[in-house]
Amino acid sequence: MLELVTLSKRYGDVVALDGLSMTVGAGRIHGFVGRNGAGKTTAMRVTLGLARADAGEVRWKGRPVMAADRRRFGYMPEERGLYPRMTALHQIVYFARLSGMGAGEARSAAMAVLESMGIAERSGEPVERLSLGNQQRCQLAAALVTSPELLVLDEPFSGLDPVGVDNLAGVLQAQVDGGTAVVFSSHQLELVERLSDEVTIIDQGRVVASGPVGEVRRSRGADQLKVALEDGGTAWADELPDATVVARFGDEVVLELSPGGDDQAVLDAARRAGRVRSFRREAPSLTELFREVVAS
Amino acid sequence: MSRSDLIRLVAGREIGERIRSKAFRISAGVSLAFILAVAILPGVIGDGGPTTYDVGVFGAGSDALAERLPQVAAFDDDVAVDVRRVASEEEGRRLVASGDLDAAVGDGGVVVERELSDRLGFIVREANRQVAGEAALAGAGVRGDAAARILAPEPLAVRPLDPESEEETTKEGLVFFGTLLLYGQLLGFGYWVASGVVEEKASRVVEVLLAKAPPNQLLAGKVIGIGAVGLAQLVGLVVIGLLAAAATGSVDLPAETVPVAAQVVAWFVLGFAFYSCLFAVAGAIASRAEELQSTTTPLTFLTVGSFFAAITTGGDPGGPVGQVATFVPFSAPMVLPIRVAAGEIEPWEVVVSVAIVVLSIVAAMRLAGRVYAGGAMHLRGQMKVRQALRAEETSQARA
Repeated sequence: MLELVTLSKRYGDVVALDGLSMTVGAGRIHGFVGRNGAGKTTAMRVTLGLARADAGEVRWKGRPVMAADRRRFGYMPEERGLYPRMTALHQIVYFARLSGMGAGEARSAAMAVLESMGIAERSGEPVERLSLGNQQRCQLAAALVTSPELLVLDEPFSGLDPVGVDNLAGVLQAQVDGGTAVVFSSHQLELVERLSDEVTIIDQGRVVASGPVGEVRRSRGADQLKVALEDGGTAWADELPDATVVARFGDEVVLELSPGGDDQAVLDAARRAGRVRSFRREAPSLTELFREVVAS
Repeated sequence: MSRSDLIRLVAGREIGERIRSKAFRISAGVSLAFILAVAILPGVIGDGGPTTYDVGVFGAGSDALAERLPQVAAFDDDVAVDVRRVASEEEGRRLVASGDLDAAVGDGGVVVERELSDRLGFIVREANRQVAGEAALAGAGVRGDAAARILAPEPLAVRPLDPESEEETTKEGLVFFGTLLLYGQLLGFGYWVASGVVEEKASRVVEVLLAKAPPNQLLAGKVIGIGAVGLAQLVGLVVIGLLAAAATGSVDLPAETVPVAAQVVAWFVLGFAFYSCLFAVAGAIASRAEELQSTTTPLTFLTVGSFFAAITTGGDPGGPVGQVATFVPFSAPMVLPIRVAAGEIEPWEVVVSVAIVVLSIVAAMRLAGRVYAGGAMHLRGQMKVRQALRAEETSQARA
C-alpha cells in the first residue's frame, strides 16, 4: 500500500538516499533497519512530506501520495514531538483537528485513544509533567488518534524497558490486526526479528536486503547448527567432515553445514562426544546478517 | 480543510496557550499596574496644592509688610504666604526655632532657622522693597498713584512664538506613554513569536505539524494568534488607562485622546505585522531557546534604537531625527504617532511612511515564510539565514 520508489536525496555533498525502494503492505509490520545515518529517518521524512526527494516518488494505494493522505498518517518522530506545556488531551485534539477531523469527532477520538493508552486520568496535565513512559504513550496516542491506515514510527522502542516494549508491541499488533500498515525503525534487531513480518536493511541510502523476515535471514547463508554439551566440551566439532565451526559462545559451538550435509550426522558426532544439552538448527539471526551485510 | 480554517485553528491554539501562560499573566498584570499608577496617582497625590509659608512680621512697618507679603505671593500659583503679627524679634526667634514659623521679618532683618529659601526669599525681599520704596517716596512727597507708577511700571507683554497650552502638554504626555506601551508590546510579543517558533523546533513538535500543514500556514497562524493577544492587551491597557484617568480626574483628557489612542493601536498592528516576521526568522534559524539570545540580538538592537529615535523625536517632532525615522520601517510605528500628535508632519509624509511600512511587511512576510520553511526541519544547531533560504528549495514536498 505504501511504496517508496527509487527515492534519491542529497543534502549538499552527503547522499542520504540512493535509489531506495520499499513496500509496506496493509496489515503488515515492516521493520526498517540500518546504522545511524543510513537514511532511515530521511526515508521516513520523505514519506511524510517533511523533506522533498530529488528523484523518485512515494505512492499510496497505487497512486502518488497527496497532502490529504499524509495528514491522516500516524507519525512518531524520533524524539518527543509534543508541546511541553499543553495538556495531553488538548494537544491530541489539536493534532486530530489539524488532520482534518471536526471538533466533536476530534474530541471523542482523543478521549478514546487516551483511554486505550491508559493515560486518560493524566490527560489534563501538561505533558512535561508526565513520566517518560506516559509521554511516550501520549506521543503514540497522537499518532493513533486519526485511526491511521499507515503508521510511521522512528525508533519507537528506544528507551523502553521490557514491559514497555511488550506494551508497544501489543499496540502495534492490534493496529496491524485492524489492517493498518506499520513501518518502524529500530536498532534492536532481536526485537525487529520478533515483531516484523517483513524487514528492510539499508546502508548508505541503499537497500541491501529486503523481504519477509525468514527469507532475509536465510538469504545470505545456510542454516546454522548450535550445539552445547553438558560437559562444555567443543573439541569434537573441529574435525567434522560436513560441517565447519563458525563461532564459539562459551560452551555453545556454532557450525555451518556444508551443502548436502546431514544435521543428524552432526548430532550423532556430538552424542559420541558426551551428553548433549541443546541442539538447534536456525537460520542466521538478523543481527549476524546485519553485521555481515553492512560490513561488506 | 481550507487554508483559512487551518490558520484559524493554529491561531486559536496559539491564543489559548499564551493566555494560559504564567508569563502572560504576570506581564499583563505588571503593565496594568503601571498604567493605572500613571493614570491615577497624579490625581491622588496631586501637587498638594500650593506651598504655604508661615511668616511672622514685627517691628516698625510690619503692618505694611503684613499686607504686602500675600499680594506679592499671589503672583505665583504655586506659593502662598500666611502672615501673622509677632510681638518682638525675640518672639520671632522663638517661633522660628520651634518651627511654627518659616521666617520672621522686621527691623531690617529676616530670622530663619538655617537659610532663607530662594522662593520665600524673593517674596520677602520684594515685599520689603515695595514697602520701603513706598515709604521713601512718601517721604519725598510722592504718594498714591504716582508712587504706584514708579514702583510698579507696566508689566512686560509676553509674546510667545509657539504658545504651549496645557492641553498640548497633556497630549504629548499621552503620546509618550502610548509610544512606550507600543514599544513594550512590539518587543514583548515579537519575542514570543521567536520563542514559539524555536520551542516547536526544540520539542520536535514541528515535525508532526509539518506532516499535516504547509509551513506558510503554520507561521501565519502563529503570528496572527500572538498578534491578536498583543492587540487585545494593548487595547485593554489603553482603554483601562484612559478610563481610570478620566474617572479620577487626575488628567484632563484633551479632545484628541481618542484619535491618538486609535493611531497607537493602528501602528501596533502595522508594526507587529513587520516585526513579527523578522522575529519569526530569528526563531527559525535557532534550534534551541539558548540560541535565541544571539539570533534576536540584531532585531532587539533595531527595536531599542527605534524607541530612542522616538524619544528624540518627542523632544523635537519636526527635527531631522524624526524626519528620517518616519521613513524607516523599524521606527515609523513609534515615531508617526508622536509627530502627528504634535502636528509636525505633512500629509504626504504619512502616506509615504505607511506605503514603505506596508511594502516592508510584504517583503518581510515572504522572507519569513521561506526561512521558516527552510529552517523548521533543521533541528540541530543554529543556521545562517542564507542556509535556511537554500534549504527551503529542497524542503517541503509540494504535494
